[in-house]
Amino acid sequence: MSGVEHATPGMLILLVILIGPVLYYIRRARSNRDMYVRRIAGIDAAEEAIGRSAELGRPVIFSTGLTSVNPILYACLGVLSYVARRSAEFNSRFIVPQFNPEAMAVVEDTVRDAYRDAGKSSAFDPQSIVFLSESQFAFASGYMGIVHREQVATAFLFGYFAAESLILAEAGQQVGAMQVAASVSPEQVPFFICTCDYTLIGEELYAASAYLSREPVQLGSLCAQDTAKLVFFVFIVIGVGIATFNSLQPGMIDLNIIELIRKPWGF
Amino acid sequence: MESNYRKKLIRLLTFLGGVYFFFEFVLPEAALEGIGLADRHTEISNGFRAFGAMAVGLGIVNLLLVHGSRVLMVRKNWSYSLILLGGLFSMMAVASLDWLQGERLTKTASVYSQLADFSAVIVRDHEEKKEGVLPLKERTSYLTTAAEAALIKLDPHLNTQNVNKEDTLLSRSYIEKISNSRMEAGSYITLLKGLEEFSVEPYDGVKKELSTIRSELQKLLFLKQKNALIKKLYEFLYQGLFVALGSAMFSLLAMYIAAAAYRAFRIKSFESALMMGAAVIVMLGQIPFYAYISSDLPFLRAWLLEVPNSAAFRAIKIGASIAGLVMAFRMWFSIESESFSHEEKA
Repeated sequence: MSGVEHATPGMLILLVILIGPVLYYIRRARSNRDMYVRRIAGIDAAEEAIGRSAELGRPVIFSTGLTSVNPILYACLGVLSYVARRSAEFNSRFIVPQFNPEAMAVVEDTVRDAYRDAGKSSAFDPQSIVFLSESQFAFASGYMGIVHREQVATAFLFGYFAAESLILAEAGQQVGAMQVAASVSPEQVPFFICTCDYTLIGEELYAASAYLSREPVQLGSLCAQDTAKLVFFVFIVIGVGIATFNSLQPGMIDLNIIELIRKPWGF
Repeated sequence: MESNYRKKLIRLLTFLGGVYFFFEFVLPEAALEGIGLADRHTEISNGFRAFGAMAVGLGIVNLLLVHGSRVLMVRKNWSYSLILLGGLFSMMAVASLDWLQGERLTKTASVYSQLADFSAVIVRDHEEKKEGVLPLKERTSYLTTAAEAALIKLDPHLNTQNVNKEDTLLSRSYIEKISNSRMEAGSYITLLKGLEEFSVEPYDGVKKELSTIRSELQKLLFLKQKNALIKKLYEFLYQGLFVALGSAMFSLLAMYIAAAAYRAFRIKSFESALMMGAAVIVMLGQIPFYAYISSDLPFLRAWLLEVPNSAAFRAIKIGASIAGLVMAFRMWFSIESESFSHEEKA
């Protein structure tokens, strides 16, 4: 929807369609915790990956890539918290290289809380949350350096990644680390599939936290997302139907959904 | 108890920030103008950005703590940390000095644009018959005195000292333009001094010539600055090292893509065979001599990229965008923070 600076009535309706199910499912999940979430192999493997690092006596590394403080970071925090807690329980060294100073503050707090939850507050080393650089490739080279020097056993790559994704994943591959990656940008997914043991694609990153924590809020919003997707799917089917009919008989149905959504307020 | 209040305050501020941006997006432009928010939006957004900028120091503090302590305690890999800190401080020092030098040059040149603006203001105020300002004659006298002094101050700059050999011709053309404008400006100033009745022409002339002097002088000074030690150091550290190292990292991608493709293209299952088949068609359709194999290859390649590939991309993007929106909604209402720590849930 490029070129739209303010919401149109159509967009408002879409927002309501999206927010309505969120509220409904969160309420429902709070009253009934048993909601079904399909298996996510990458997340199931997290436990094995952390255990592997404990067995080898080598560190676990968790990178949020180029993520700044935005919803993607918050989606990663649930997994970060889980991995940090389990690493603390297994006495594995946990390293979180950072690209963005703002995100670093949030990440440090989450890891500290995770160590406290594991009853290992004294084992938390603030220096394991290390700021590398705000420059993409300087960050990538810093990450590579850590992976090679520390010979990490397990690498989690969760968040927003760009061209450096393959550099990061290859570094892990070179030291034989078990790698789990999750990216919302489809352009980077093929690189992760090629180099990582498990890859979470697109929205699975957002689902991972719910899958791990079984929190009603997260489970509810996961169901809400699926409902919203279903609604959008219906829109797509209607759009495809109209386009097909109109190509067979031009002007047969005079309805343009995109135009309808973009139509500005009448005043 | 105190921590509880802090959390409530954070949630309240997050909510209020969300309310502002939500309504700024949802309300139509006319409504925003009606309540006077449209004009203030840029300032408010900048205010929010200023909060983010405060975190920049956190990165430097972290670097100093992590690497400083490693150097002081002579821990494992301390030499890398020392190089990093050396790089950090030298880049900070050189970049600051370079910035200061640039500022000084801009300030030297900006005198002429200020005088040009003053000339325009005199004309505008006279035409609008603005009250509460100095009389026209007095203002003109200030303008001519200041402009004459500024033109004299041009002398030390009008030479090709400190200019690279390859930039000599360019600098001479700047000097020529400045000299011509200086002469023209001088004649307009003389006209202004003897002006009996108000006329726009000499004021406009002064404005035009001083503006030309400003832009040409700035170009000339920047040419001279190129040879300064600080500029050379900055260029060496930034272009010579930082950018070059970044490019070297980026170039690693080519090798890594080949290695990753080799691993991915090993046919281990039906899915990998499918991927291999698609990749072969796309690659063959891309090469210039595809016609020797099959003339349909480019169409097949385009179909693969535009139909199944685009469909998958869009599906991932739609799913991720919806999930992102839901997450943003949870952040707005601070529902998300309940989930990270066990202690908070209790």
